[in-house]
Amino acid sequence: MSNLLKGNFTTKKQVEAKQDDTESTSLQSEFKKAALNSIGGSMVYVERTDLTWSGDDEDE
Amino acid sequence: MQDKNFSESFKQVVSQITDIGKAWHSSDLLINAKYNAPYAKNSLKDLPSLDIAKQQEAIIVSAGPSLHKQGVLKKIKESNYQGTIVAIDGSLVKCLKSGIIPDYVLTLDPHPTRMIRWFGDDDFIENTRNDDYFSRQDLDVNFRNNSIKENEENIELINKHASKIKLIICSSAPKNVVKRVQEAGFKLYWWNPIVDDPKQENSLTREIYKINKYPCMNTGGNVGTAAWVFANAILKTPRIALTGMDLGYHLETPIEMTQTYYELLEFVNSREELEALFPKFTFPLTGEVFYTDPTYFWYRHNFLQLLEQANGETFNCTESGTLFDDNLPCKTLNEFMT
Repeated sequence: MSNLLKGNFTTKKQVEAKQDDTESTSLQSEFKKAALNSIGGSMVYVERTDLTWSGDDEDE
Repeated sequence: MQDKNFSESFKQVVSQITDIGKAWHSSDLLINAKYNAPYAKNSLKDLPSLDIAKQQEAIIVSAGPSLHKQGVLKKIKESNYQGTIVAIDGSLVKCLKSGIIPDYVLTLDPHPTRMIRWFGDDDFIENTRNDDYFSRQDLDVNFRNNSIKENEENIELINKHASKIKLIICSSAPKNVVKRVQEAGFKLYWWNPIVDDPKQENSLTREIYKINKYPCMNTGGNVGTAAWVFANAILKTPRIALTGMDLGYHLETPIEMTQTYYELLEFVNSREELEALFPKFTFPLTGEVFYTDPTYFWYRHNFLQLLEQANGETFNCTESGTLFDDNLPCKTLNEFMT
């Protein structure tokens, strides 16, 4: 492809082509993140918390 | 993590679940609580009191494979049981199909496209496109095989009975569930999840509470445990039976059919490491062997930890699975009901 798409000018700065695998790496990381989420259960739970909290101290 | 000799990789995955859950749910909890606040009229504080028989005992109807395999609903129906029935979103349709109208149904998961299925989903085809979460699990074989027709029947069934049921709905519920249950005619009673220590500064639980002032309840990470917390700590039922709470799989279930199989592949490099993520438990009443996965094991661990704070008696009447301990005796459901 790079042989076909040649410009008729010269750039002042050297332009580096974007690496093809950047996008796929990012997709892979997104996929991994989404996949991991299902392991996290239906709701957050933190150890050593009470069964209920009425919020009374917040209202005082 | 005590009991059994779990592999290092298993312990490592389980130890990450709390953080994965926090990262996954935290923003949805606030967004959904804000969205749902204007719709709420009643909270747990407004629940009407129960008659004497229903105050004495409760059966939690969770949605594990034993619900079907052990004929739980048939046993309840045939026993003329007079106590309270607390179902969860995933077992509601099965209860109604068995002629049982639960007193209460719990729902809490904020997932934007999956939870609506339990109430009959008007956008079923769109919401299940490219998502095999349910279809690869051993949760509802009828639904798996004939899903579109089953969904339509579920909508009708729920519309018919919703007005007789108190829906114990978490402020984290997604907007499509809230819309659907309101249209169906459930009586809604709202609550907030305890997701960290509310006494701490910058507590997310406290932040959610400030939005709506609903009472807060622990969930143990899943709706089945939340249903038990509700019966124990809100209804203050002195004698409770758990059913359908397998937190595990029958040995004949291939690990490829488990809830997070594909996700767990990310954590391992070999088949041997993968299999170590599914430890086995021998069920004490029958000697049958079941296996669990990191997420179910985490639920199990959380439940047993919350149980230490509970009053009254709780029996596991699931008749299978991995949830048992010295202070959580197992008995058959028929024994519990007689």
